[in-house]
Amino acid sequence: MNFNFPILSLLVLTPIIGALTLSLTSSEQLKNKTILLSGLWISVGEFLLSLLLPIFYNKSQNGYQFLEFHTWFDQFDINYFVGVDGVSIPLILLTTFLIPICLLCSWNSIQTRVKEFVIYFLLLESFIIGVFISIDLVIFYVFFEAVLIPMFLIIGIWGGENRIYATFKFFLYTLAGSVLMLLAIIYIILVTKTGNIQQIAGFNFQENIQLILFICFFASFAVKVPMFPFHTWLPDAHVQAPTSGSVILAGVLLKLGAYGFMRLSVPFFEYASIYYQPFIFTLSCIAIVYTSIVALRQDDMKKMIAYSSVAHMGFVTIGIFTLTSDGMNGAYFQMISHGVVSAALFLIVGVVYERHHTRMIADYSGVTNIMPKYSFFFMVFMLASVGLPGTSGFVGEFLVIMSTISVNVYLTIFTAMGVVLGAAYMLLLYKNVNFGEIKSNIKKLHDLTGIELFYFICLAFLTILLGVYPKILFNMINESILQGIL
Amino acid sequence: MFSFNLYLPEIFILILILLTIGFGVFNKDLSISLNTIGFLFISFFLINTGFSFYERYGLTGNTSKLIVLTKIILSLGSAVFILLSKRPLKNDNIYRYEYILFILFATLGSFILITSTNFLTAFIGLELQSLSLYLMAAFSTKNLSSNEAGIKYFSLGALSSGFLLFGISMIYFEMGNFNFQDISSFGFMGEIGLALILISLFFKVSAAPFHIWTPDVYQGSPTVSVLFFATLPKLASLIFLFRIYHEFNIVDIQSLNYIFQIVCILSLLVGVYGAITQKVIKRLLAFSSINHIGFILLAIMSYQYMSEGAFFFYLIIYIITTFGIFSVILNLRNIDGELTQISQLNGLKSLSRSKSIAMLVFLFSLAGIPPFAGFFGKFFILSASINEGLYVLSAIAVLSSVIAAFYYLTIIKNMFFNNPEIELLTDTNKITQVIIIISALVLTLFFFYPDPLINLVDSLFSQN
Repeated sequence: MNFNFPILSLLVLTPIIGALTLSLTSSEQLKNKTILLSGLWISVGEFLLSLLLPIFYNKSQNGYQFLEFHTWFDQFDINYFVGVDGVSIPLILLTTFLIPICLLCSWNSIQTRVKEFVIYFLLLESFIIGVFISIDLVIFYVFFEAVLIPMFLIIGIWGGENRIYATFKFFLYTLAGSVLMLLAIIYIILVTKTGNIQQIAGFNFQENIQLILFICFFASFAVKVPMFPFHTWLPDAHVQAPTSGSVILAGVLLKLGAYGFMRLSVPFFEYASIYYQPFIFTLSCIAIVYTSIVALRQDDMKKMIAYSSVAHMGFVTIGIFTLTSDGMNGAYFQMISHGVVSAALFLIVGVVYERHHTRMIADYSGVTNIMPKYSFFFMVFMLASVGLPGTSGFVGEFLVIMSTISVNVYLTIFTAMGVVLGAAYMLLLYKNVNFGEIKSNIKKLHDLTGIELFYFICLAFLTILLGVYPKILFNMINESILQGIL
Repeated sequence: MFSFNLYLPEIFILILILLTIGFGVFNKDLSISLNTIGFLFISFFLINTGFSFYERYGLTGNTSKLIVLTKIILSLGSAVFILLSKRPLKNDNIYRYEYILFILFATLGSFILITSTNFLTAFIGLELQSLSLYLMAAFSTKNLSSNEAGIKYFSLGALSSGFLLFGISMIYFEMGNFNFQDISSFGFMGEIGLALILISLFFKVSAAPFHIWTPDVYQGSPTVSVLFFATLPKLASLIFLFRIYHEFNIVDIQSLNYIFQIVCILSLLVGVYGAITQKVIKRLLAFSSINHIGFILLAIMSYQYMSEGAFFFYLIIYIITTFGIFSVILNLRNIDGELTQISQLNGLKSLSRSKSIAMLVFLFSLAGIPPFAGFFGKFFILSASINEGLYVLSAIAVLSSVIAAFYYLTIIKNMFFNNPEIELLTDTNKITQVIIIISALVLTLFFFYPDPLINLVDSLFSQN
């Protein structure tokens, strides 16, 4: 199909242009709500624009589509080369879907410096989309790093009381991982004389060099995912970030690491991927079991969900490195599902935090009597997170666990243990918050407002849809995974 | 063969100096505009003559290009700097015409230094440049710390000049010659002599472990003078260092190459570790400049692949960024005068949106975070050094830049996250504001449209 409209560049540029326009208006003239509303319209427009991608994407055709090519640095053969395949499109949709929700959930909670807030979110959106569409390593790296800047500011300006520590930790951890990847990228470009991801995937690196390069990439992506010993920035960042920051962090930013593993590490370094398989499985198993146990002991709701994110992302890394079609598909499904469900869970916490200004589980009890609609949606997302069949959480976990059997049975046992532990802490959380005696200070809380109801319905719909009819996603990704990654 | 034409840029500066001595006493403002126009004329002249201008000296094509381009940048930079310096000097009550003379002498010295093909000429150029800098450091005569800075700078600088002379004399002892061309292979004495020359140059560009003067001099001197020595004379000294490294093939002399590598590593590390705990803006910038010198030395060492381009690109970006940062500092004042502490930048975001955003761009660019131009500076240098096989040095360089990110982030934290504590008065100095805006735009737009800068650098240093 001939599709010459530069839709991908437009996807990247729309938020940037929106942010620029907003920054040129003087803040005295506009009310906060007007600014939020204009940001919302821009992001909704962006979402509608991104819906063109799955509509016009040709599933029967291999490789990247909607290609755009402009020379950038002639001398290095580094080009602005973008395109999408089935692996990128769902993540782009997830991003454009979550950004309006982030702005919606900040409707009342963000009162200061609203214009900056909207600008940073729009910039963040275009940088994230930039990561998913780039087929050139340097462009990929540029966007991958640039994401840090708006996120740093979002956590640092609108975060909780310990925000400076959290945002510095987030920034420096991620940067330290990424610079090693930069060295590896430069080396690869010098050796292969190209920055094009497809061509590099066809290049056979020497085995011992693969092992080193893999570790360099691993340093960057493992921090981002985050995998077990590198995960300590995540609880801090989540707890201190504003609700919208947590939503985008859990929803999309963590996926950047897993996407990097899928898109770069596995296709580039086939030998090293097999060589490091046990290593990554070990780390992921520790992540699943250990962080689940840690999550059991948390008294802060956000921290508990943050740890559960680490556990869920453990499934993703296991799935990817089984290097089987089932595992990959399952891991990818888990990514999307976790993007929706954990984002929703952070919103759930945000709703009560905005009303009651505490995240401690002990401060809540019997919420279901006061806020019935709220506890209904809480239940939906809690069950999705646990992995109840019929919700999106089930499909990914099931596929991953199934694929591990072909690799190693012990791995299956540990992975499955994660599901049980996940059920334990999520049910505990739900029980403590929603059931029991009604605490006196809970009584004044009011139930979900229209806006909140709206975005919860959207998220719940998506969760159920993916759970009941997962084919809608698999149709999109399966071919691309088989052709492009394995 | 003596050709008068070759000395035209230097002669122009001499004429400017004479005119300034003549008229500057009566009318300072006139001499400022005169010199600005004069320097613009010189850069125009150099652009017009073309890059092969100095090939008639017997220099190779690439060196000639390097020299012409550096001179263009030096004269453009001096023109901008002379325009910019008026307001801050007035604010400090030291607006005297001698200051412009020092700028002229320093630039003349830089011109002579980078063009020299002979150790004695180089020495004269370097000394002319350095002596003017000492005076600029001590220019605020009523201010004790400025005097202290001047004396410190002078006494240590004189020591390093002694090293330089001693090194030159050792080379003369062995070769019986001062000309670069006639000096080919080095014996033991020659190597030691060259090492001493290198040490003296390391001192001038403030590479660790010869950096001790830098923080004190930066802190004590008038800020506007610091802007000058952080950029233009340093550019000239680095270009000269680059020429020494390549004309004498230091890469083949094992011992000197070790010295180079050690100095590079130390600069990278000392720069970042020194800067972490600093509370004073200028001291922090001093240490951060040491870290950047480490990167530049890395570029000098990896000489094959695009390294001249990478080296020069990094320098251009660094100079633009430094001009921007210092313009922001010069543009802000509180009741007591200039801002000195980092904590005085608290809440700059709510005071001046444009300045804080520009500062954000400068700092992220210095830290090497994409999409700003500073990232590409580091990217090209690392490409050159990895291509050269300097893996360990490259790894140290990138890790040091992670630590460096910490203190740049601290400044950003103060500006964006903290609430304002003290009243800040913004100086409505149009020139610094224009510089801030232009440099921030250059650093940002490079990502979207890299062609002009890249093509400039590439056309200069391509192999043909």
